[in-house]
Amino acid sequence: MHDRLSFYYYRDSLLHRLNPLTKIALVFGLILVSFVSPYYWTSHLLVLVVIIPLIFVGRIGREYLNAALRIILPATAFLFVMQALFQPLEGEELFRLWFLHPTLESTLFAFRNAARVFAIASSFTIFLLTTHPRELMTDLTRRGMPPQIAYVIISTLQILPQMQAKAQTILAAQHSRGMDTQSTFLKRVGSLVPLVGPLVFGSLVEVEERAIAIEARGFTSSHVKTSLYDIPDTALDRALRWIFMGLAILSMALRIWLS
Amino acid sequence: MAIVNLQNVTYQYPLTDTPALQNINLQVNEGEFVAVIGPNGAGKSTLCYTLAGFVPHFFKGELTGVVEVVGVESHNSSLSEWVLNVGLAFQNPFNQISGAKYTVFEELAFGLENIGIPREEMKTRVEEAMELTGIGDLADRSPYSLSGGQQQRVALASILVMQPKVLVLDEPTSQMDPIGTREVFGVIRKMTERGMTVILAEHKVEWIAQFADRVVALYEGQILTAGKPREVLTSDLVIDKGFGVSRYTSVARKARKQGLWSGSKQLPVTLDEAIEGFGK
Repeated sequence: MHDRLSFYYYRDSLLHRLNPLTKIALVFGLILVSFVSPYYWTSHLLVLVVIIPLIFVGRIGREYLNAALRIILPATAFLFVMQALFQPLEGEELFRLWFLHPTLESTLFAFRNAARVFAIASSFTIFLLTTHPRELMTDLTRRGMPPQIAYVIISTLQILPQMQAKAQTILAAQHSRGMDTQSTFLKRVGSLVPLVGPLVFGSLVEVEERAIAIEARGFTSSHVKTSLYDIPDTALDRALRWIFMGLAILSMALRIWLS
Repeated sequence: MAIVNLQNVTYQYPLTDTPALQNINLQVNEGEFVAVIGPNGAGKSTLCYTLAGFVPHFFKGELTGVVEVVGVESHNSSLSEWVLNVGLAFQNPFNQISGAKYTVFEELAFGLENIGIPREEMKTRVEEAMELTGIGDLADRSPYSLSGGQQQRVALASILVMQPKVLVLDEPTSQMDPIGTREVFGVIRKMTERGMTVILAEHKVEWIAQFADRVVALYEGQILTAGKPREVLTSDLVIDKGFGVSRYTSVARKARKQGLWSGSKQLPVTLDEAIEGFGK
């Protein structure tokens, strides 16, 4: 059972110390550059000279590899194969197998897209692995995001594992009273009813009490909120954000100029 | 000068036929500790919600009469202003965890962040509240990983830290062991000595008898009787309704019928009184 729903791993690294907004700027900068750049090899290059070094800077090699092998690589590999086989691009046929006849063009197209998706998914993963949700939300709230949004996001991350645990308890209780959850498909579907009922209605009742609890602690107070934590925003952060923005604009300009 | 003033308060929840509170009159002085007893469904929680402003600002329905705290009338105030004066902790500790915080320390700071307390003062206040409620060693734990009793201490500390003038507690010790309960009553006494006013709905009459200044017995939404703990907790009115009777009172009553407890002696509420009474 998960204690929390978070991908964050604490390390003492420059990447962890960066302001969350700087890391968001980095992620969106990478996405933009990888999509609008007019050069074929841009995304591949980004993976080699940005993504992989960042993994080492953030000291999250093992955690990243875990996510890459289990999710990112299989997904991009699937995308590559599907696009190479079925993208209707005319050109030199590589081989013909039954009705499959991938062309060189479709394969190159698929390879570029796969690299894009790989770069984007990887930069998001690095962001999640090195940024605690608390820091992200504290920083964004300080910058003017409504605290209600931060509350909804963080409490969802925290309460989902609790609901999961509760579902297990209800299931065990129904089990002990002889409910059948292991035989035929139809019986299993039928046994969902006594699980979903208590879970959903129980949660609705809880919502009311939780609303009272946070209201009692001044959640809707009109005072300007303060924060227990100070999320540093250094000169380096600001400089990096300008650089990322500059690179994104540059790649857009290149795209327009060269097309 | 009463800090809490209820006059002819009647309240009915939406979609119900009978009022949950009927004609309640109650004045509480600054620094006083008032305990509210009553069977389930007597209106204890509704009274707590009314004092804390959730009736009528959160639960709709019809509230008549005067609800006044620190000289401000409930109808003329907003809930977010009201909670600065009146703090509320209630029974179910799990639902009082904000869910927005990852550690107990942050959880306690949540309310202070909301009302804009500066960081340094926030830390001092949180540490003080943790010390007071005996949860100093839990500071870095996730509030969700705690036991029910520990969560109740966190819930109490989360409200204490906001330093309300009036503290309303609705069965705050329901999941605590006897040691925890004793500590909570100790904290309440300490807070009243500092001038905080405390109103507590609770079943544990032996503790109430030892600590409370005054007891209010609620029954079917009305005040049955109110007064000094000893008088209320041994009054026939309360005993006949079958609630708010400590085991020492019951034993002494049985003993009195058999002539083992003299009729002129007052019935005991606590163990010490019972020992003293039977010893003579």
